[in-house]
Amino acid sequence: MIGVYREFEGCMRLAGYVLSRLPVLAKPPVAESLTRQIYFTGASATAGIVLRGAFIGTFIIAYVIDVLEANAALAVKILVWVVLREVGPLIAAVLVIQRSGTAVTTELALMHISGEVANLRQMRIDPRDYLVVPRVVGIAVSTAALTVYVQVIAVGGGMLLSSLTIDASLRELTGEFFALTSPVDFIYSVIKSFLFGAAIALVCCYHGLHPPGTSINAVPKAAINGVTQSTLLVLLLNVVFAYLVFGQAFFGLVTAKL
Amino acid sequence: MSTGAQGLALGYEPAAGRGECAVRIPLGGSHSAGAMSESQRKRLVSAVLEVRSEPQTRLVLLGVDVDGLRPAGRAALRDRIAFLPADGGLLSNLNAWENIVLPIGFHQPRRLSGVAARVKGILEELGADPGDLLAKLPERMTPYEKKLTAYVRIALENPDLVLAEEQQRGLDSAGRAAAARFPAVYLERCPGGTFVRLEVADEQP
Repeated sequence: MIGVYREFEGCMRLAGYVLSRLPVLAKPPVAESLTRQIYFTGASATAGIVLRGAFIGTFIIAYVIDVLEANAALAVKILVWVVLREVGPLIAAVLVIQRSGTAVTTELALMHISGEVANLRQMRIDPRDYLVVPRVVGIAVSTAALTVYVQVIAVGGGMLLSSLTIDASLRELTGEFFALTSPVDFIYSVIKSFLFGAAIALVCCYHGLHPPGTSINAVPKAAINGVTQSTLLVLLLNVVFAYLVFGQAFFGLVTAKL
Repeated sequence: MSTGAQGLALGYEPAAGRGECAVRIPLGGSHSAGAMSESQRKRLVSAVLEVRSEPQTRLVLLGVDVDGLRPAGRAALRDRIAFLPADGGLLSNLNAWENIVLPIGFHQPRRLSGVAARVKGILEELGADPGDLLAKLPERMTPYEKKLTAYVRIALENPDLVLAEEQQRGLDSAGRAAAARFPAVYLERCPGGTFVRLEVADEQP
């Protein structure tokens, strides 16, 4: 229990440090590191996420139409509620944990064990400035961008499939979608996914810089800690956000008293 | 340290009872700190890089006794010191060029313009081919190329004191001959500077 508290405290301290050191992003080596992180997490993951997004959107709509014998209004409502608000940010977060979370934790743990983190200190460079700040910002920005991809592809794919399978035209579905969607839905999901990305990066960087040992065996242990804890943190943040913004958590099981 | 600190580039007086020898390097020129044990070398390097002496020890850097310094004074003094690790201390995911410009890009980004010509000049002076070396990742470099990359990296910062750790370790005869020129090339570019070689004595069983 004390270990969990220490890790939580360590991540919180790291978050405070990152917030206080954002101007370091203007330094050329850090800016380059940020660009690389955005490319790795955002750009190179796009192809995979497009396929997954299209698959999930069409799957949800097909399922709803088949099981609930839904009409156009219900199908679009479910797309907005499920894909736009919840599944989009969560899919992007899971993909980022799978790809970037593991990579960041492993890379930093290896750098720590091989003495490269100490080499940075010898160059009077704080490892958190060069290694953590660009990764946290890069992964947060990329997660928000990936969420938008997922939403566009999943909603678009879902509506296209609906127009082919139920008695509603694509135009009718699109009109229904814009009538049901408010700017809050987009802002909510983008802010949420930005925080998901920041949380994933902070937890993974923390475990990468604090591997549980100095042998090579500590690297997979650090990766496991980073992935499991960032997944739990994302789920927790999702519940907190749903409760704060919509007054509901756990799909309506917990409701705020207004 | 019985003598005054002013004429010393590096003065280290260890705590009594450890069996370690004192180090006194005058300002200017290339010097060997003498053979020392691995543990003493680590303690000395750590004290110099942190600009902080351990209890019951005394450390003088560039004529200044570090005990009386405030944090700002320590930081200013640290900026004038460079360390050349035995293995080069490179980052494995950056190529030679990126490793060379990392500290200068971080601490003095305004000096980045024109740095390519300086790097080329230093490499050519040491007989290396810049086109061949600069794109290499550390995993593809020879031990000498790693030391050379690290040397160019510190040379760009024009430090007043260079602490070079076991410069001959792991090198073949050609590499040893080339690495032996580092102090002379440094002193040519920084005439008032001090280059200190740290060598580890063979441990007795």
